[in-house]
Amino acid sequence: MLGKKKIKESNPMSVEKGEAVFAYVVMAVICLIALFPIVWVVMSSFKQDLLASPGFSLPESIYLGGYVKVFTQLGIGKYFMNSLICATTGTVLSITMLSMAAYVVARYEFRGKGFIVGCFMATMFVPTAALTFPVYTLVKNLGLFNTRAGLIFIYACSGIAVSFMVIRNYFATIPGELEEAARIDGCTYLQTFTKIMFPIARPGIFTAAVLAWLNLWNEFYWASLVIIDKEKMTVPAILSQFTTSFATDYNGLLSAIVIIVIPPILLYCFSSKFFIEALSGGAVKG
Amino acid sequence: MNKKVARTIFIILFLIPSCVCFLMFYAYPIVQIIVTSFCKWDYTNLNNPQFYGPGELLTNYQYIFTQYPYFWEALKNSLCWALVGVCIQVPLTLLVAIVLSKGLKFSKFARNVYIVPSVISSAAMGLIFLQLYNARYGPIQQIIQKFKPEFTDSILLVEGVNFWAIVFAYVFFCGTTAIMLLGQIHGIAPELYEAGKIDGAKGWRREWYITIPLVKPTIKTVTTLAATSGFLLYNEVFFLTNGAAGTKSISYIIRELAITSSRTQYARANTIGAVQIVIGLLLVVVINAVFSERSIKKRRGE
Repeated sequence: MLGKKKIKESNPMSVEKGEAVFAYVVMAVICLIALFPIVWVVMSSFKQDLLASPGFSLPESIYLGGYVKVFTQLGIGKYFMNSLICATTGTVLSITMLSMAAYVVARYEFRGKGFIVGCFMATMFVPTAALTFPVYTLVKNLGLFNTRAGLIFIYACSGIAVSFMVIRNYFATIPGELEEAARIDGCTYLQTFTKIMFPIARPGIFTAAVLAWLNLWNEFYWASLVIIDKEKMTVPAILSQFTTSFATDYNGLLSAIVIIVIPPILLYCFSSKFFIEALSGGAVKG
Repeated sequence: MNKKVARTIFIILFLIPSCVCFLMFYAYPIVQIIVTSFCKWDYTNLNNPQFYGPGELLTNYQYIFTQYPYFWEALKNSLCWALVGVCIQVPLTLLVAIVLSKGLKFSKFARNVYIVPSVISSAAMGLIFLQLYNARYGPIQQIIQKFKPEFTDSILLVEGVNFWAIVFAYVFFCGTTAIMLLGQIHGIAPELYEAGKIDGAKGWRREWYITIPLVKPTIKTVTTLAATSGFLLYNEVFFLTNGAAGTKSISYIIRELAITSSRTQYARANTIGAVQIVIGLLLVVVINAVFSERSIKKRRGE
């Protein structure tokens, strides 16, 4: 029905016909669920008068006025720049620190190790919202309120648990001989890390970085809390301003939404391999 | 330099940055939340929180539990969202991962498409669903009017219905966890399926008796993520209803008390924060207990 199946008979994973039909139904449904909201927004953004042709109706002609307005008036580029700066700097800082800590924890024995690991892993269960007020005052006291640096500070500190776990697990798989050899050749502890262990662990560190970056790029809670000036807002934060700034300009609002969601989708299309490998722990190849 | 000293210095230096971040961002705030939940601290004494006297130490908790009008609404919603998240997302994630693991034609395509909503921020998805639910031009409204032509309100303002409107805005998009699970399924040795086949485990029985037991640890992770993300829901509430018509969540009321409220009720916000941390941990403990070997054996009557 949907193309030939290319499954070898001897394959223990071979799929029976009924199963395959069911599987295709499920795949069709999940594609529909995933695409419907986005396709609807794109389609509706082409309608000049949304109220005249609401809901499922197709646009009669393609109207691009909304997009022109978004580019000329909203200056969407700067929000992408802000997001890029905050997410990337936050990721680099956080991953660098955590790589160092994860290396030491994975490769050395010392007192208090269990305690430190316990603390880092426990952060997974600390809800962001509960920290709202203390972090808000902390950022204020550091003089970082309403600055991108404040947001970067939060991004560098948050999300310890997942990155730490991914990187530590990777370091733990590297055989110890390499390290010993480097030490015998006269490398200092620092050199052993920077010249030998860090380069070897790059795939694991990269996985953690991709996941962290994606989270920070989409982060809304803190971005909308510590930054007040529109000029400094990231993409998710500016979204909360849309409904007011486009009050009754439905066409402009929908066009702006499309422009906001397209870049991450494109980025994903070109790098889906990395995302999927990162998420599946390398077991699924993109 | 003495080798042992050098080693110790190295270890400490490498741990310091992460530990400082942990202390500033996690440890200190948590201590502050717990301590100030026993304090009087609001707009009247902005800079010096003071402990309530003995016997009145629990004033904030008493206020939250008995007087604050939105606490029980928020707690009920958050717990229900956690439950709905587990009931819908866990089976759905499992189904999607198993279907995608078959290696059928188009499954890579379906997998890549299914992740798309997870790549977009939940803030953007919230805004998109706000348009889908729009009472004047949204397609959902069109469907409703097919059955109830006289209905012209926004469903986001209909109590009870709006709870589910928020659920549908996030619950089906579990692309990231499905891929995590898919990775684990791909890691299962083919010999196990081979052996299962001889024992007659074919079709969906094969998934039930071989796949699911083997990826149980990841199912536990998926369950924990579904429960906690439902329990901590904020973005969808903010974008869709902004807490109107009985849809406040715990996260929402914390932020409202701490930042949005003009009376700046810091201590009360932190009190709810403390409650949120405790209940969040309880959820994790419960899920762990449900998944532990012992309880599973008990249920099977071994």
